[in-house]
Amino acid sequence: MAESMRDESDEDAETNPTLTSIQTVDLDSGFGGEGYEPWLFQTMLNELSERELGVGFIYSILELFATRHSLEDVAVVLVNESFGTQMFRLGGEAVTPDMAAHLNASPGVYCEPDTVPAAECDAVRTACQLAMSLHLARFSAAHDPLTNIANRRSFDEALEVAAARSARYGWAFTLVLVDLNNFKAVNDKSGHEFGNHLLRQFGFALRQAVRQGDTAARIGGDEFAVILSNAEGHESSGFTERLKGHLVALGNPVDFTIGTASSPRDSTDPGELLRMADGRLYEKKGIRIS
Amino acid sequence: MMSRTEEDFELELRSLPGVLNVGITKHASGDVNVVTLVANSKDPIATRSAANQIASLYYPEAAVVVEDANRALVDTQQRSESARVALIRADYDTTDGFCEVQLSVDGRTGIGRAGSGPLIGGAEATLAALRDLGYDVPYSLMTVTNVTNGRDWPVIVTLRSLANDADRFGIARSEDDLVSAVKATLDSLNRFLSTLDGHS
Repeated sequence: MAESMRDESDEDAETNPTLTSIQTVDLDSGFGGEGYEPWLFQTMLNELSERELGVGFIYSILELFATRHSLEDVAVVLVNESFGTQMFRLGGEAVTPDMAAHLNASPGVYCEPDTVPAAECDAVRTACQLAMSLHLARFSAAHDPLTNIANRRSFDEALEVAAARSARYGWAFTLVLVDLNNFKAVNDKSGHEFGNHLLRQFGFALRQAVRQGDTAARIGGDEFAVILSNAEGHESSGFTERLKGHLVALGNPVDFTIGTASSPRDSTDPGELLRMADGRLYEKKGIRIS
Repeated sequence: MMSRTEEDFELELRSLPGVLNVGITKHASGDVNVVTLVANSKDPIATRSAANQIASLYYPEAAVVVEDANRALVDTQQRSESARVALIRADYDTTDGFCEVQLSVDGRTGIGRAGSGPLIGGAEATLAALRDLGYDVPYSLMTVTNVTNGRDWPVIVTLRSLANDADRFGIARSEDDLVSAVKATLDSLNRFLSTLDGHS
């Protein structure tokens, strides 16, 4: 597969194409100048009107690009500050190690046959880079980087939505706060790296334990929260058992304590639900709250 | 069009250290069947384990394959290191019809002799020289054919495996039939020699 695009006007964007660098793309040269491709621009607008750009959009672009130029195969190699080199191939197919060794040479669009003008390849690569960076930024904004479960911000949003629905329609849900026992001692004794390993495992076990439609989040250092949808309180014991089972399967020795509050039974106010669940958690731990 | 779940699944896999590419194949029903990762990872076992965990959350039935991106480079290096079998000389004695071929690898030389003229003799002598170098070559000579393509006369050599009926073909064009036969024989064995673990 020949490389169709080698020139790079912005060297920084080539080696370090962060979201920031993409945001500063000169629209005149990037979309209105030589690299402007109406079909690509229209496709991006259509995608943005229906959903947000993500890695799926990269495959849509490669498909359109291949059809447009009757290409047998096409791949794009991108470089991202967080991910390093990333390769995407037409149809979501895997690249072979031989192909990876070849493509690893430099970022760009690789076409078979190599018949596409460099300017259009450049535009395609820019669009793909934008889609990947936006997806990553969106994912990072909503997820905890250590455990890949929801972070505090998206948990707060999910709790607001669940509480509002509960207040309006009476839909029940249970908020479960989970606190790891003696985790500080584990960190002090075995080091933060091991502590992080346990947290990652705990996050994974949480993801396994929740049902589709539930929300699991890391809301503090060793504090987690779960929103159990369509649950009136007693379901939390089933969740706890599942969580323990997954932790045992992982060989994770961490013990935990939970506190729960249910809506609408206890309250439909998110803040009040949090306070109640927190109070019950610390009650179980035998800690007095001042 | 990929679903948001599929997109997040792929993004999570791509966030694993060293992962360069993610390929996803699906059943006709649309369920994810096999997930292939091409990774340039220092710890492939950890990458595989993490990928399995992620896949188990999204698509528990999917099989996960992790390919080493460095494998191609290693193969190429091994091929170039193993394929240094060089032709030193090839002589044909018109009085007795014997060919003598001298090959070299890693500073050592091997000599092979065979009758039957420059074509068959050249191929047989090449196999003998390789064996003299210590290679265990489990092939016998099937055919040596001098063909014309309108411009010149390349030689095609066919070897047959002693273990089964698998044939290997080699082709070369050189200044004379003898050298062409030697080079075609080496060409037919090129990949085989490159995959040998070693030789005495």
